[in-house]
Amino acid sequence: MVPVPGGTFQQGSPPWVLDLLEASDQPLPRVWFADETPPHTVTVRPYWIDRHPVTVAEFAEFAERTGHVTDAEERGFGLVYTEKGWREVDGVCWRAPGGPGTSSAGMGDHPVVHVSWFDCVSYAEWAGKRLPTESEWEYAARGGAEFRLWPWGDEWDVRNANTAEFHAGALNALGGWKAWWEATCAEDGPIPRTTPVGAFSKQGDSPFGCADMAGNVYEWTSTLSHLYDDATECDPSVRAAMGRYRVIRGGSWMNFRHQTRCSERMHGDPTGWSSFAHGFRCAKDA
Amino acid sequence: MIRILIPSVWSPDGRTAYEGAEGPLPDVVRRFADDHPWIKGRLFGPDGAPLLHVNLVVDDELVPRRKRDAAVVGAGSTVTILAPMAGG
Repeated sequence: MVPVPGGTFQQGSPPWVLDLLEASDQPLPRVWFADETPPHTVTVRPYWIDRHPVTVAEFAEFAERTGHVTDAEERGFGLVYTEKGWREVDGVCWRAPGGPGTSSAGMGDHPVVHVSWFDCVSYAEWAGKRLPTESEWEYAARGGAEFRLWPWGDEWDVRNANTAEFHAGALNALGGWKAWWEATCAEDGPIPRTTPVGAFSKQGDSPFGCADMAGNVYEWTSTLSHLYDDATECDPSVRAAMGRYRVIRGGSWMNFRHQTRCSERMHGDPTGWSSFAHGFRCAKDA
Repeated sequence: MIRILIPSVWSPDGRTAYEGAEGPLPDVVRRFADDHPWIKGRLFGPDGAPLLHVNLVVDDELVPRRKRDAAVVGAGSTVTILAPMAGG
């Protein structure tokens, strides 16, 4: 873990970021990002945060020692993004992240995936830790009070993070993303494109030395989804997630560059749902 | 009539609000997909069964999966279709 000194910062994105996104060659509408505004003052106390997401090997030790059965294992299926979109696939779990016939053996240093919010909380409690709040996550990704788009700064560099663009080359339209994913699935199936944790260090690290905060896996936080300002005009489905879902940060190997920014927010169903792109890291009080 | 809200990125033109007819929730969703075929793959599997990881909120109340078949959407209600991951 790395120590993070407490501090006060403006959490969220200033208006110029949404202007930038709207003017950028990315396909998502402005309203899709509105939940990361307005910036607001937040103070975090000193804490520790994992340098990288929890790995397959670390989770395996937890499962072996506690007998923990994940929600995906209990249900007998997990979510995988196929050529047809998200699908519940039988037999998918952290041990078989692409479904029957796939295995996470040999991927001990990759982030664990197919973990629900409850699975992550259970692991954290076993490890004597907890999930970070989204404020702690963003503060650690930015490396303090200074605003920055990505953990390393404001200039995008495809070599710094495991995103879809790392695999596919520059992407600026959903059609291009879909074509890449269909070709990838045709080659060796819908298996997660995670990379070993820290594979993009140090150039992709945050100033506090946290790795993989942009891309690789989506990361669950402890924070109940909420709008920074109830008056924010946002997508109706995002609004419906408020008070029900938990905040997810960092984007993943599936995402465009702009979805892996430090202040980017997603919201995940915490009632047992998991996917082949979702993982987590832990924090604890200093 | 009822209102049906969907994620903006699901619709071809970013539109999020649609109208539909009241009735049993499963029928409401199926009729909506029939009327807007581009959304069918988001709501139903290849076998035609509803994708249960897609959440349904009726008038600000999340309808649990096990209660969906019995849920009825009354006139004037709003159904929000909510993917397991929203935003960004």
